[in-house]
Amino acid sequence: MESITQPGIEAYEAPASIADAVQVLARGDVTVLAGGTDLTVQVDAGRITYGKTLMNIRRIAELQGVSEAGGRISIGALTTVTNILDDDALAQSVPVLRATADRFASMQIRNAATIGGNLVNASPAGDMIVPLLLLDADVELASWRDGAVSTRSVALKDFFTGPGKTVRADNELLTRVTFAKPAAGFAARFEKSGPRPALEISTVSAGVAGTLENGVLSNVRVVLGAVAPTPLRAAKAEAALEGKTLDGDTIAAGAAAACDDCTPIDDVRASAWYRHHLVRVFMERLLTDVAEN
Amino acid sequence: MTTVIEKDSIIGKRIPKPDAPDKAVGRTRYINDMELPLMLIGKILHTDRVHATIKSIDVSAARALPGVHAVLTADDVPESLKFGIARDNIPLKGGKVRCTRDEIAAVAAETEDIADQALKLIKVEYEDLPGLFDVHEALEDDAPQIHDDRPGNKGLAYSHHSGDLAAAEAESDIILENTFKVHYVTHCCMGTSAVLADFDADGKLTIYSQTQYPYNFKMDLAPALNIHPGDIRVIQPPVGGAFGSKLDVYPFEPICVLLARATQRPVKLVFSREEEFINAPTRQPVEIHLRSGVKKDGTMTFRHVNSLLNNGAYTSWGATTPYVMMRTFSSHFRLQAISYDAQAVYTNNPYAGSFRGYGNVQATYCTSIHADMMAEAVGMDPISFGIKNAQDEGEVTPQGAVLNDCVFAELLKIAGEKTDFVNKMKTYAAERDKPGRIKRGIGIASSIHNAGGAKIHKSDGCGTILKLDDYARATIITGASEIGQGIDAVLCQIISEELGIPVKDVTVVNNDSAIGPWDVGVHASRTTFIAGNSAQRAARRAKEQILNYAASRANVGAGELDLRGGHVVQSKDGVSVAKLDKVLREMHFKEDSELVMTTDYYEPPSEPEGENHVGDMSAAYSHAVHVVEAEIDTETGVITVEKITSVQDVGRIVNEMGLEAQIEGGIIMGLGYALSEELQIEDGYVRNPNFRDYKVMTAPEIPEMELHFVESQSSTGPLGAKGIAELPTIVIAPAVANALYNATGIRIFNPPLTPEKVARAIWERDQGHAQAAE
Repeated sequence: MESITQPGIEAYEAPASIADAVQVLARGDVTVLAGGTDLTVQVDAGRITYGKTLMNIRRIAELQGVSEAGGRISIGALTTVTNILDDDALAQSVPVLRATADRFASMQIRNAATIGGNLVNASPAGDMIVPLLLLDADVELASWRDGAVSTRSVALKDFFTGPGKTVRADNELLTRVTFAKPAAGFAARFEKSGPRPALEISTVSAGVAGTLENGVLSNVRVVLGAVAPTPLRAAKAEAALEGKTLDGDTIAAGAAAACDDCTPIDDVRASAWYRHHLVRVFMERLLTDVAEN
Repeated sequence: MTTVIEKDSIIGKRIPKPDAPDKAVGRTRYINDMELPLMLIGKILHTDRVHATIKSIDVSAARALPGVHAVLTADDVPESLKFGIARDNIPLKGGKVRCTRDEIAAVAAETEDIADQALKLIKVEYEDLPGLFDVHEALEDDAPQIHDDRPGNKGLAYSHHSGDLAAAEAESDIILENTFKVHYVTHCCMGTSAVLADFDADGKLTIYSQTQYPYNFKMDLAPALNIHPGDIRVIQPPVGGAFGSKLDVYPFEPICVLLARATQRPVKLVFSREEEFINAPTRQPVEIHLRSGVKKDGTMTFRHVNSLLNNGAYTSWGATTPYVMMRTFSSHFRLQAISYDAQAVYTNNPYAGSFRGYGNVQATYCTSIHADMMAEAVGMDPISFGIKNAQDEGEVTPQGAVLNDCVFAELLKIAGEKTDFVNKMKTYAAERDKPGRIKRGIGIASSIHNAGGAKIHKSDGCGTILKLDDYARATIITGASEIGQGIDAVLCQIISEELGIPVKDVTVVNNDSAIGPWDVGVHASRTTFIAGNSAQRAARRAKEQILNYAASRANVGAGELDLRGGHVVQSKDGVSVAKLDKVLREMHFKEDSELVMTTDYYEPPSEPEGENHVGDMSAAYSHAVHVVEAEIDTETGVITVEKITSVQDVGRIVNEMGLEAQIEGGIIMGLGYALSEELQIEDGYVRNPNFRDYKVMTAPEIPEMELHFVESQSSTGPLGAKGIAELPTIVIAPAVANALYNATGIRIFNPPLTPEKVARAIWERDQGHAQAAE
């Protein structure tokens, strides 16, 4: 049996409450462990090193579970991707979450990977970020201040600042993500690239949401992944679609605008050309799907 | 009471691999799991440059680190110790580095962590040199020299010319000309490269190795170590895959031995997955310029081939793949004339080794696509076109291969019938230009491969020692290695068949060069054929010895007796004369006692290539035909292969379960080559050294596979069997490419057929159409 201690780790903490956890965070130089599916891989690859304290947050019951209150749905940070897949009530009210979870990594990774981890990891290709941006979600960040737990809420669209970077301060713990329960008529769709049904890191991911009434799309949200330093809300595409009749011309205009919104790069997974191409293809598909259903 | 035993046969039955249960439950002990007393861990410092002069290397801090027992650099290894088939490699590089793999220092330490820390303490100063990555640039007059003693950066070269090329060209009505560029892929063995070296007090070396050619491995390893090959004992624990990657000596092996010698302790060295992707051999990439001719009536006339192989910085077996490529170009269909030239060119890229299919994967991509194009050009369907050009039984190819037991045309016919090929092809082609983003396609490809060994060494033989004990249990000690391909099960079956004892009563020993008789190695789809023949001959000798004794005992002729079901029986009616174990004990303990122990060395009836690479170098040849049915998303470029129909001449089915596994595994490996696998090498560096970005097929992508075995009953193979292992991998990629063409009209000459490549080709064509319309 290998020791769990790794070079650099001096202390291991496994708090049972958010209050205890944020007090540990307040000490500084703490690495937070949830599912570990991103963390351990990145440490092994030498991209990050553990802080002095490794804090396992998996025993904090308050971070678990999906709940609904006052018209808002809250998903605890420790909710796994498998939990999302298995939650029939959630799938009923927000189908796009299950649809996305069904394309996420592999079954083994889904069992361990958490929503909170997927957000904090801030990969431009993070799959679960896309539907949560479509839902205009907020994240809740907790910290220890003046002898008590203090929380603040940040709009998810303002949360990411670059690849692997967010506005979360080192002493803050992401506790949950919340969003307004979608109204009737709200449609949201997700698509990602890749021939593989599993274990496919997104070359491009895309999401479209809005309310379609009498053929007119409103409250439009367009999200693109893996085509910019952060997953992004595609403002030009949203403007091109908002309030328009969702016909062939609008779809083409929306898809073209989405291409203008993104700034993809050439890398080992795809060229910028292919990413642009897929953005257009996915936008056309998603919008057509919304228009037809 | 009389016991009657009916004649029965174990051949063709489904026999599980004897090593499978342990592997399935994790009981198998690989080198990775081994530990010897006082064992140290070895680690290699690879350079981070691709072409540079080493100005200085400082290992003092690494040597001073507690727990470090040795740090070696080129200074510790005399320069003269060159190894490799072109004698251009050395274990540790000093003076200059030539590719990203170059090993510049090695550490032996008490733990892996200490070894890693020691590597980080080594300071190297370089002066970078201009890098050469492209074969054409490397051949320019003023190109930098990668090896001082290899002028013009030229490595190995091959050529074969036969027939009257000018006449064949003149007779051709249509000539096709294309440049194919086939890519880097790597084996992706589940077990990464590993070795454990241990010297005894007399200075003799025991090396625990993953090698798939233990006997010549000693010969190849010795020069790198300045050691006598006779003082090397090779022990082969089970391996996690080989596929040709372990058919040569690679620097990590002598380096590990040098560390063991320096420390006088056993040293184990195991690659991480990233090291494996960067340092393990690849398949040989090659640029092939192919001109092919055909007459209007569909008769193929000639092939003219010029190819350049990116050799990388050092020479391993990849550079010799033209041996096999030229065989495909000269003998895949009947030709009047063939001109083949290949040149390996040194660059600062990583270097290639042997890999299942060995050049034939690359060559068949070209020949099967050109065959498809020719059929269309002359207005024939590919099945009729193939049958028209397929050789007949007994025909001799331009390189002297005698195609006995040849059923090529029959395979094509079966493939056509089983898949309704021609109708589907016509239907899909008609749908091609209609609206709709999803298109369907069907494609066919075929090839020929040696199926009775390949006489590329002085001997292509295999030795067997067979013994029977007092309980009628047999032990077969064979030179043939088990690398996962299933030879152990096949040999048990052959011994069982000949001696009339249960398969479970046969034990195979083949993991120690001090015990086993010589064998040339597991390669060239040869092991069932060669080792199987040797096992059968050894068993027949044992049977003769037993029956002679039993006949004298029963006072009958030996020809009247047989071995069945653990008994000596009367051949005519199966009536038991005596139980076999009793007979064996009698033989053992009688006055002039005899043990039943036989040996055999089987040399196949093949000949080495002579001048112009002509010679009947295999004792059998075989063909395979694959049909791929696929769906293509013309927007994303994703090809979804839905079904593969495989029709292969297997000679005779020995172990049906092993045969299916080999063919299915080969198909999946070929699909990865066709669709998704590519080791991306840019300016000499591997850009995707991980399974996230190097995409092997995953379970949900694997299509339905329908396998048809045709039993040609080889006149030379054991019980009629032929070698089967490589063809399934060889024939897939061009069948996928031809299916893509059928669906979309797009030809891609540079695999893999990734979604991006397909989408871009379709998009560019449609842009062209749009512009033309304006």
